Amino acid sequence: MLDGDLTSKDVAELGCPSELMEREWSPCRHACPVHADVRGYVELIARGRWQEAIDLIRAALPFASVCGRICHHPCEENCRRWEVDEGVAVRELKRFVAELQGAEGSTVNKAAVQDKAKIAIIGAGPSGMSAALELAKLGYRPTLFEKFPIAGGIPATAIPTYRLPRDVIQMDVDWILAHGIGLQTGVEIGKDKTVEDLRKEGFEAIIVAVGLAKSRMLPLPGADHKRVHPVMDFLTELAFDRKPDVGKHVLVIGGGNVAVDGARAAVRLGAEKVQMMMLEDEEEMPAWDWEQRESLEEGISFVHRRGPVEVLTQDGEIVGVKARKVTRVFDDDKRFSPQYDDGDVIEVACDTVIMAIGQMSDNGFADDSDLAIDERGRLSYTPATQQTNAADVFACGEIVTGPGSAVEACASGQRVAKAVDLYLGGKAIEIDDTLPETFGKIDEATAQKVTKTTRVKVPTDAPEDRKKVFAEFEHTLDEASALAEARRCMSCGSGAEVIVDKCAACLTCLRVCPFDIPKVTDVARIASNLCQACGMCIAECPANAIIARGWDINELVDDTAKAIASMDGKAPSKIVAYVCGHYASANAWSGSLEDGVPGVAELYLPSMSRLGANQMLKAFENGADGVIVVASQIGGDRYPGATERVQKRVEQVRELLGEVGLNPDRVQLVEAANQGRAAMREAMAGAAERIAAC
Amino acid sequence: MIVGERKPFEEIMEMISPYKKVLIIGCGGCVTVCLTGGEKQADTLASQIRLAAKQKGLDLTVAVDCITRQCEREFVDNLKEDPKQYDAVLSIACGAGVQFMSDIFPDTPFLPGLNTSFLGYNKEPGIWEENCRGCGDCVLAWTGGICPIARCSKSLINGACGGTDKGKCEVSKDMDCAWYLIYERLKARGKLDELRKIRAAKDWCKDRGAGVRRLVLKEMVEEEAAG
Repeated sequence: MLDGDLTSKDVAELGCPSELMEREWSPCRHACPVHADVRGYVELIARGRWQEAIDLIRAALPFASVCGRICHHPCEENCRRWEVDEGVAVRELKRFVAELQGAEGSTVNKAAVQDKAKIAIIGAGPSGMSAALELAKLGYRPTLFEKFPIAGGIPATAIPTYRLPRDVIQMDVDWILAHGIGLQTGVEIGKDKTVEDLRKEGFEAIIVAVGLAKSRMLPLPGADHKRVHPVMDFLTELAFDRKPDVGKHVLVIGGGNVAVDGARAAVRLGAEKVQMMMLEDEEEMPAWDWEQRESLEEGISFVHRRGPVEVLTQDGEIVGVKARKVTRVFDDDKRFSPQYDDGDVIEVACDTVIMAIGQMSDNGFADDSDLAIDERGRLSYTPATQQTNAADVFACGEIVTGPGSAVEACASGQRVAKAVDLYLGGKAIEIDDTLPETFGKIDEATAQKVTKTTRVKVPTDAPEDRKKVFAEFEHTLDEASALAEARRCMSCGSGAEVIVDKCAACLTCLRVCPFDIPKVTDVARIASNLCQACGMCIAECPANAIIARGWDINELVDDTAKAIASMDGKAPSKIVAYVCGHYASANAWSGSLEDGVPGVAELYLPSMSRLGANQMLKAFENGADGVIVVASQIGGDRYPGATERVQKRVEQVRELLGEVGLNPDRVQLVEAANQGRAAMREAMAGAAERIAAC
Repeated sequence: MIVGERKPFEEIMEMISPYKKVLIIGCGGCVTVCLTGGEKQADTLASQIRLAAKQKGLDLTVAVDCITRQCEREFVDNLKEDPKQYDAVLSIACGAGVQFMSDIFPDTPFLPGLNTSFLGYNKEPGIWEENCRGCGDCVLAWTGGICPIARCSKSLINGACGGTDKGKCEVSKDMDCAWYLIYERLKARGKLDELRKIRAAKDWCKDRGAGVRRLVLKEMVEEEAAG
């Protein structure tokens, strides 16, 4: 176990330096319920490596496209960039790459053989489908049983399409099913088949993943009116393109996300006035902040601290809801325990009511089975093993975790798959839920030195336009915006690590670091939670005592050798251009631009800070006729001081070349990387000419 | 610390010209700290030699290795390459290291890649300056911490010579007169009396005067195994 200082021996024992990334997880990854390698995929997106990015996302998160639209992004909440300027818009980046690639553009890692036990999963929602995916990859034969005609769960049946379009859900469903998973829609367990029937059909384990599909209702006088809609039914009607019966003045009872979905859907159905009435005050209102803000923008108003008492009707129509004052929602132990003042009662006018006070499970699946449901309607469940009272029946998702987000449901499904695998393997169900450490907020001293940038603005339709339609109102980022946003990531934890037995405490790393991070006592130590991964110290260290956790410093030399070899016999010259890729397009990074300078191979780096003198010499050793260093102008580089440092390195290489009898002009520096492709190309062409003249 | 500077490239190529298989060994001690003899600099030199060899059509293989210090026995065991497999070794350690390694591998030519220059300090990043001559009889206690042996061009002991010129040495306008500096510092401390004290003549035997010098710490010397 690597802890503290790193030695040469430790490095030799690593398969590759990126194993060091497992010592500590960046806060985004740590906070993510499925622990997706957020830093990793944001970095891939920054380099235009779309397929690798979506594959890395999907390695942890099967519902990548869905979450790209609806995830509550705990990663963003914990992004350390907030201490510098604003956090990185991770969800928008995920959306960009997931929808760009679709299901076809995501690699399917189907198990070579699926010959292990058959497993039945009740409910094809996020938790059930995530469980199915994990089990299929392990070689099991999972079958999903879904009562609705489509798979996808709540995302498909109860999230309005302005938030989550159908084709986006289908990308994830298709990709998951491609791993060898059976799906039977229109089959309701408990009605069409029982749990016992499933056992008789040879399913050796059953997973209950039915979610919380029913609306909690209140037995209010008048609540049996046809225009009093349980919110889940209301949303499901919409999902199947049926128009629920709403009037002009809708009152939604409830303050959570589902209530907001109901309210915003009602607006789009043409209601002239939509209000949300809830027990909670402004601070306590549970819906996500952005949902609250967007609702207010769409003209929805909130009535706080009121609880419904009666639905008032007149001549067969709803005219309002009588509501009493709420004095307190939570008790001193923060438990839900509302208290009312029955002397303070108002009438809120409305002609339609949507009840969105909470969800509960539909326990019909347990009919005619040995599954125990308690008097409060809860399925018997042991959290550690995720088993019900029947050893072969497991549960995951909202039915056992309570209301949560899609990604949390995925995590629950992934865990139950581990439990089922252990059970079917005859092992004790013991799952280690511990996580690597993460780091706290970035120090103010370091944060101040990071170049400030602005978070991308998501193209969003104006409230007056968007509230008329169920079409998406927030649009996917374009490539340029996605690249720029991904390049705001500070790559937390992927930076420099000192190999202490090689370090001579020469102080060079401390002196060249633009962020003053290395501390040198007996040896240099570089705080992994502060390092910005610029690579400047790595290129300067005289002892080769610093490695990068997140990348292999030898890769550049190998890529250079390959690029030169590919130019053999094909080009007038073999010139390598090392280009600062901080402003470059995805095509530039992938080498698929068609306007390259003949005889010049372009290799892209996140910053010139990484390019050392030795790497430039190695290019010549590997047969290059010349090297062009394309840096950004001073002030335009990603890391302060990078261009100045590269200027010095180029001077040094020119001298070294002169010493061996090669013309120093074979190394050219142009500072044009931030001036657009046309200017950069012209500068490279000029440099290539100067090299050719040598 | 010891400061050394890489020899002129042409001289290095000349030194290794009789050989076909050369091992460059870097040193993780002083020469890494002054950025001239570390593993990275060994890599740089290897690249340069290979490029030069290609230019000249020479048949020359160059490998690189590096150990913590080349002046101590135990570190030699950490070599990954075997010097005996090479025609010659180009060591970029200081002269002490080149010689020690040469003694350990007497049949392999150990060539010095550096000119070992002086004992000095890091004036500012990228600049090192001599300030000690290893005279073996340190006078810094009564010269205000400024060494007249190293920093006076004539290594005078008794004060400035007649060539001192507005605080500069007659050798060059860029060179401070060490005795001027000593005088000003002691004056600032109110300690000019130190210069008036009569002291015994400097014992130059402690310097080079008596040949090769040696430090023996008896408590660390290992006894020969008793019979």
